[in-house]
Amino acid sequence: MIQNLPWLFLVLPLLVAALDWVFFSKCPKTAATLSILSAAATFGLCIAYLAGLQTGLSDVYVWMPTNTDALDLHLGLVMDPLAMRMMLVVTGIGLLVHIFSIGYMKGDGSNLSRYFAGLSIFMFSMSTIVLADNLAMTFIGWEMVGFSSYLLIGHWFHKASAAEAAKKAFITNRVGDFGFLLGILLTLGVFGTLTFSEMGNVSGAVAPTLLTVMVICLFCGAIGKSAQFPLHVWLPDAMEGPTPVSALIHAATMVAAGVYMMVRLQVSMGTEIFTETACLVITTVGAITAVMAAIIATQQDDIKRVLAYSTLSQLGYMVMAVGLLAGEAAMFHLYTHAWFKALLFLGAGAIIVCCHHEQDIWKMGGLVRRMPLTVLCFLMGTFALIAVPGFSGFFSKEAILDAAIVDHPVFFWIGAGVAAITTFYMTRLCLVAFLGKARAHGAEHAHEAGATMVLPLLALAAMAIISGYGFVADYLVPAEGFTAPGFHFGCTFYVSLGALVLGLVAAIVVYGWGKRERDPLAGNFIATALRNRLYIDAFYDKVLIGGLQNCGARIIEFIDSALIRGLLVQGTAWLVGRVGILLSWLQCGSLRAYACITGLGLLLIIVIIAL
Amino acid sequence: MTIPLAHYLIFSGILFSIGLAGVLIRKNILVVFMCLEMMLSAANISLVAFSRAQGTDGIPVYDAQVLSLFIVAIAAAEVSIGLALIVAMFRATRSVDSTSLNTLKD
Amino acid sequence: MLLWLILIPVIAAALIGLLRMPGRATALAAAAIMLILGVGAVLCPTECSDCLSTFCGVRLQFTLVSSISKAMVLLAVLVTFAAVAGTRAPSPNAERSWTISTLLISAGAIGAFMSDNILAFYGFHELALIPTFIMIGCYGRGDRRTIAWTTTVYLGLASMVLLAGLLLLCAQMHAWTFTDMAASVYAGIRPTTPCLIGGLLLVGFGTLVSLFPFHTWAAPAYASAPTPIAMMHAGVLKKFGLYGLFTLGLVFGPYCSQIFGSWNNLLLLLLLGNILWVGYVTVSQTRLDDMLGNSSVMHMGYIFLAFAAFIAADGANELAMNGATMLMLAHGLTIAMLFLLTGQVESQTRTLELDSMGGLGRKLPLLGFLFGLAGMASIGLPLLANFAGEYTIFVSCFETWTPGASPSPECCDVLRGISCWLQELCLVGAFFGWIIGGITWVIESISTLFGGLGAVQVTLVFALWGLVISAIYMLRAFRAIFEGDIAHTSERATGLSVMDIIAAGFLALFIVLFGIAPQLIMNL
Repeated sequence: MIQNLPWLFLVLPLLVAALDWVFFSKCPKTAATLSILSAAATFGLCIAYLAGLQTGLSDVYVWMPTNTDALDLHLGLVMDPLAMRMMLVVTGIGLLVHIFSIGYMKGDGSNLSRYFAGLSIFMFSMSTIVLADNLAMTFIGWEMVGFSSYLLIGHWFHKASAAEAAKKAFITNRVGDFGFLLGILLTLGVFGTLTFSEMGNVSGAVAPTLLTVMVICLFCGAIGKSAQFPLHVWLPDAMEGPTPVSALIHAATMVAAGVYMMVRLQVSMGTEIFTETACLVITTVGAITAVMAAIIATQQDDIKRVLAYSTLSQLGYMVMAVGLLAGEAAMFHLYTHAWFKALLFLGAGAIIVCCHHEQDIWKMGGLVRRMPLTVLCFLMGTFALIAVPGFSGFFSKEAILDAAIVDHPVFFWIGAGVAAITTFYMTRLCLVAFLGKARAHGAEHAHEAGATMVLPLLALAAMAIISGYGFVADYLVPAEGFTAPGFHFGCTFYVSLGALVLGLVAAIVVYGWGKRERDPLAGNFIATALRNRLYIDAFYDKVLIGGLQNCGARIIEFIDSALIRGLLVQGTAWLVGRVGILLSWLQCGSLRAYACITGLGLLLIIVIIAL
Repeated sequence: MTIPLAHYLIFSGILFSIGLAGVLIRKNILVVFMCLEMMLSAANISLVAFSRAQGTDGIPVYDAQVLSLFIVAIAAAEVSIGLALIVAMFRATRSVDSTSLNTLKD
Repeated sequence: MLLWLILIPVIAAALIGLLRMPGRATALAAAAIMLILGVGAVLCPTECSDCLSTFCGVRLQFTLVSSISKAMVLLAVLVTFAAVAGTRAPSPNAERSWTISTLLISAGAIGAFMSDNILAFYGFHELALIPTFIMIGCYGRGDRRTIAWTTTVYLGLASMVLLAGLLLLCAQMHAWTFTDMAASVYAGIRPTTPCLIGGLLLVGFGTLVSLFPFHTWAAPAYASAPTPIAMMHAGVLKKFGLYGLFTLGLVFGPYCSQIFGSWNNLLLLLLLGNILWVGYVTVSQTRLDDMLGNSSVMHMGYIFLAFAAFIAADGANELAMNGATMLMLAHGLTIAMLFLLTGQVESQTRTLELDSMGGLGRKLPLLGFLFGLAGMASIGLPLLANFAGEYTIFVSCFETWTPGASPSPECCDVLRGISCWLQELCLVGAFFGWIIGGITWVIESISTLFGGLGAVQVTLVFALWGLVISAIYMLRAFRAIFEGDIAHTSERATGLSVMDIIAAGFLALFIVLFGIAPQLIMNL
């Protein structure tokens, strides 16, 4: 019995989601309470497991039976440190976000039962990804997080932009899933199983090309879910959703699922399956994403979009680490990033609510005097993100740079450069939004947020500071036998310190001490390109979707209706009709003509017989 | 003297051709009907002629004569039905013109 | 007991038609009894696995042995109930013909799915086509006369081809029931012209299931048909062709590739036509009913894929069979629910043009929820029924594959031959020759890149893109109808009636049930 308790991680939120949506759709208070209770319960369970409740593996259920065991889609749970500690991140941040949501969504006219049902579906599906003991189950969770993300981005579906963003997120993820599913099927062919624990040995001789293709296909899933270039376009748009959702799904947990999945594969398949080409592809994609997103972030004005691009860029870091076969560093950064990015988003959420739903940083200003506690928490998150020594992000970022420095100096310097840009845009954000005087009405009347919003911020701020140190990290970082690196003053330390100082100084020089009224860098063509997201979204919209897909679809539709339905089908019908009209001339209705034809026919028969 | 077979056949052929021409040309359905009978008679004549010609020692081959008797009997039956149909048709349409019988064509 | 499953709808139809009993109530009662009987028959196969009935001197035998036939009967009774309960005819007079037609289609479909006698199997399907024709002709949307005639002539021709194939097969196998035929196969009798029979059957059954390029009848017919007819035809009756193919595949077991094997590569190409070509046709539709009609055609491609995998594995691919059964059931429920909701959307907004709708989700959140559920099911969201079918089919395509097993699909040689022949032929031929050569090259390079994929697996690589296409059109439609600003058409919405909700909720319940517990169907 007790070994089956982990199934609660999945069953509880799913049940609550169903209850919320179907039975309590008219009483949001009950729905919210249920969701929070389920999040709290799973969090408690998680802590209990980490504290040593673990007694044996849970049962495995056959979900889709087949004649051969290997092909069964079964549901099983892995409960190694990688999974359970990841669960702590998911349920912990999940719980805080649930609590924060009460304050954030207060007074919102939309259906809150649907909102909390969506959150619960998310908790269910994310837990499925984390705890899945086989790739098929991962895929189920994968699709379900996509769905909950669709649901929550489109929570305010009456806004056209939110509806479009939700659609975009789902479809973009589907493109990634196309490759992911292919990768899963190839995995099935190569290993003969989808269960992680049985992936040790390759069946038969497998060409390295096939392994490369398989890994890249699987990585496609991560490209979609973790919003890597070239499928990154959905994440910034996903900021149309409520901010707590952005914090939980689009910053801390779901977008990191791709990284988690890749690390899980590295652990179970063994790193030798990841061929050099595949690794190079993965690292390059990560590096491109990191650089591109960081640059775009420097010219964003919407506080949530800055954070969204920063998430992209940090995910790029993690993917780079995966490509460098430094799974531990990737998970370390995932873990610290989850805390401080959730903190940043929730902080931004609190600021947005208190500024009366103003998201433009140029219309804020002087917030440090009006809501000091929130701003302080936000600053803690910022320090962690820009890797101020001593904060959690510093240790994890250093771990990634360390992984690159020996064998791949190019990626090391890319990482260092991105760190400088990160410092630049985050400092810009803080300088503009918090200092100086209020530039708009909303910011003038800002005030400290309520307890349900501040308490989660404080908890997350604490984690943002301490989670990198050994006394926390050794027990909580999702990796087998992890030990925190701590301070060591090598080349990496000085380079990242240099990047930090460079970014800080540059930002202060450009943006001053909160005196600027508008962005001094805006206006030139580079800034315009950055504001337009390097025209990648426009390219997709106009060329790929509007041009290639829609025109192609219209041409195909035309051929289908004109050629197949028109020419072939109706044409045949027309031809038959014409021939009928032609032949009906024979049916003239004249008795004598019939007799004549009969006679001629008789003659013909006689002639034929005679000959 | 005996009339050679060829003469019978030529006569029968002429009779048949007249009948055929009548069937093909005439509009009046009664005439067409009579022409049909004429063609049957032509067939009878040639049958009887063949029966005589094929016979040995003045005894004809009776098979052909039996056949011609059959034809006469069937023709009688056909006439009764055909005339009844024509009468019925005349009652319905007040005409015995075969060209007017094209209702099915339209 | 099995005979009653067919007789009850016929009797109910007669009662409505001849004795002028109230249409809806009688039909609802009949559908409820059928539901109980059908579920009972499926759950307790021991009591009625082999029912002999003599009917009008013809020995008809009804069986419910194979899992595919059980699943189809289950589908038929479920959809019949929803179709009767959830739709409302425009006038009391029309109500009679609507309910009679629905019941007769249901009787025909159930009869076809249970018949052991091959001619009865064929005949029952023909019976069900008649009300379809009448209903589209009398109560359809748009250019209903033309569509009714086109559909009927098209399907009639297909049925003739099919009949020729079935008769040839029966005559050559000396067996006129599926059971006898299986015995003949076991006794070593083989058809003498297997290739011809396979071709006739594929074209015949294929047209009935709207296999590319014989698909153009389907979308207009579904778009035009009154809601219950669209539900019954797209949901249930259309599965007849696939049911026939798989049943014959089961009958022939390891020898099925003798009949269909030589057509398999062509079938793979055609089903890609269903998935990709029709998929993009669906993307460019601007009316909801057209879009759903085309989407139903598109999804048939996956079931054909399962059949191709079944044939390619010489009938040893039970997984493909299971997946196809699951997807046929799931797709039937989903598309029936979507058509049901389409009818409700139309009665609320008086339009089906996607451009003139919007924001209905705020006026009618429940309708939005149900439509979203059905839409998500149809694009294969896990925990809803279609996912189980699609996933199983995908896995089944890879069941027989081991890396490096086949260096190049054998179809490439054929294609290359055609390409060379065309290029020597004439100028226009050379153009198509190059195109085919290009396709060959793509197939070969994919095959080599992925470590020696066979023809089925290469097809699957392309077919997976259908997942993206279906997400595109379904989410677009949902976005256009339910999200965004409230359009003036949505202002008219008054609200759903209780029966509407019950019918749609009924189907939704089973979609969720089979999605969460697919083993209910897979273990049938």
